[in-house]
Amino acid sequence: MHNLGFALDGAWRVLLAGLLLGAGLPVLFAFGIRSLAWADSGGVARPAGRTLGYGLFAVVILGVLLGITFIVATGFGKALSFEHIYPTIVPKH
Amino acid sequence: MTQASVVLALVVVTALAFDFTNGFHDTANAMATTIATKALRPKTAVALSGLLNLVGAFLSVQVALTVTNAVVKIQNSNGTPKASLVSDGGSALLLIILAGLAGGIIWNLFTWLLGLPSSSSHALFGGLIGATIAGLGWAGVNWNGDGSKLDGVVGKVLLPAVLSPVIAGVVALVGTWIIHRITAGLAARYTDQGFKWGQIGSASLVSLAHGTNDAQKTMGVITLALIASGDWTDTKNIPFWVKVACALAIALGTYLGGWRIIRTLGKGLVDIAPAQGMAAQSSSAAVILASSHLGFALSTTHVATGSVLGSGLGRPGAQVRWRVAGRMITAWLITLPAAGVVGALMWGIGHLIGGLAGALVVFALLVAAAVAVWLRSRRAPIGSHNVNDDWDVAAGPEHAAAVAAAEAPVAPAPATVTAAS
Repeated sequence: MHNLGFALDGAWRVLLAGLLLGAGLPVLFAFGIRSLAWADSGGVARPAGRTLGYGLFAVVILGVLLGITFIVATGFGKALSFEHIYPTIVPKH
Repeated sequence: MTQASVVLALVVVTALAFDFTNGFHDTANAMATTIATKALRPKTAVALSGLLNLVGAFLSVQVALTVTNAVVKIQNSNGTPKASLVSDGGSALLLIILAGLAGGIIWNLFTWLLGLPSSSSHALFGGLIGATIAGLGWAGVNWNGDGSKLDGVVGKVLLPAVLSPVIAGVVALVGTWIIHRITAGLAARYTDQGFKWGQIGSASLVSLAHGTNDAQKTMGVITLALIASGDWTDTKNIPFWVKVACALAIALGTYLGGWRIIRTLGKGLVDIAPAQGMAAQSSSAAVILASSHLGFALSTTHVATGSVLGSGLGRPGAQVRWRVAGRMITAWLITLPAAGVVGALMWGIGHLIGGLAGALVVFALLVAAAVAVWLRSRRAPIGSHNVNDDWDVAAGPEHAAAVAAAEAPVAPAPATVTAAS
């Protein structure tokens, strides 16, 4: 059963990436919404809440852009490499 | 026109028809939650998804011509068909492809009629496997790969089908649970508006990824048929008209919207709140993209369904209709063998009659089955007008009673995790 080993190896990587991006980004988004709500509450202006909120939204949008880059790169026969931590587009092996 | 070119034309038309069913069968994967939470109006949602599928399909510049190699042995590793199958103008290979596609389409239509989100790629692979077993015997199927990588029916189809809904479900469950903790007690004007955009964004990503992944499969199959009949020789590129035709077919299918399936996934499985919809859709997008990055083949449908189920388990107080989930899982289990049996039968009929007449009979049977399913669906039509009706009420008193009876003893644990709000 070589296949089972390969599948489990792939599965935990997908789970990790899924938790990081698929649950992590929505959680940041939720914090962003919470910040905006906090900025408006209590009758006093809280610009920090607004800044923090939009900052968090920006991180989420970067994540989405990464996803789109990946789709486009794959379509053109390229791959995304994370070997320099920040993603770079490389030819597919 | 020679006989061979008529058979080829039938294969191309059937492949495009499969691509079309692939489109409407999978609209739900991207848009069911968005429609159910009213983040987008039904018509707007399917139009957006269709458009993104079209764009996605055109983005697949490098097409995997070797798409069938994962499950059957009808191609060499460079994408050209096996020489033994093209000795007589490609008719042996064309019949396998035609019968396989017919098996996939018929199963897709049948599950659509029942409103079950089954995997289109399983239907296609099942049909091809069945037709190959009938045509070439058990040895014609790539069951387990060669042990050097995740491959074969087991590695590319069965194992991912078991693992991917679980992974997506866990991610969605965790996401939903944390999001509800964070936003508990906030006014609806913040959450609803915010999560609406979150849902639209994540659903769009799923649509785009779907267009690039799934349209490719049909492009590969059509190009394989063209090579088999000697009408195309380049294994590095595909004819431009094939790309245009496949992109349009999947986009039109998506735009048509498989309303029956959207209804099951959006309203039937769990009742979805906006935050939950975003968590489910983000989980789907992340799992689909991560696995395609890691070369882990999976079905968009299994991921999307797992996500919706997970988001139902993660939201405090949400209810999962396990009876619907059970029906769905049953459909997944039998998709591969059922499409396989139809594919094998179609091959048998086509082979028995033989030649052009055989291919024409297979095609005619396919059309007859499609018309029958469509007529049956008209008895209880579901469309953009009633897709969001209450599940238990709209399904009729008899069904509602059965659902209530089936659910009562197995009400899931999350009901006991009461929200802080």
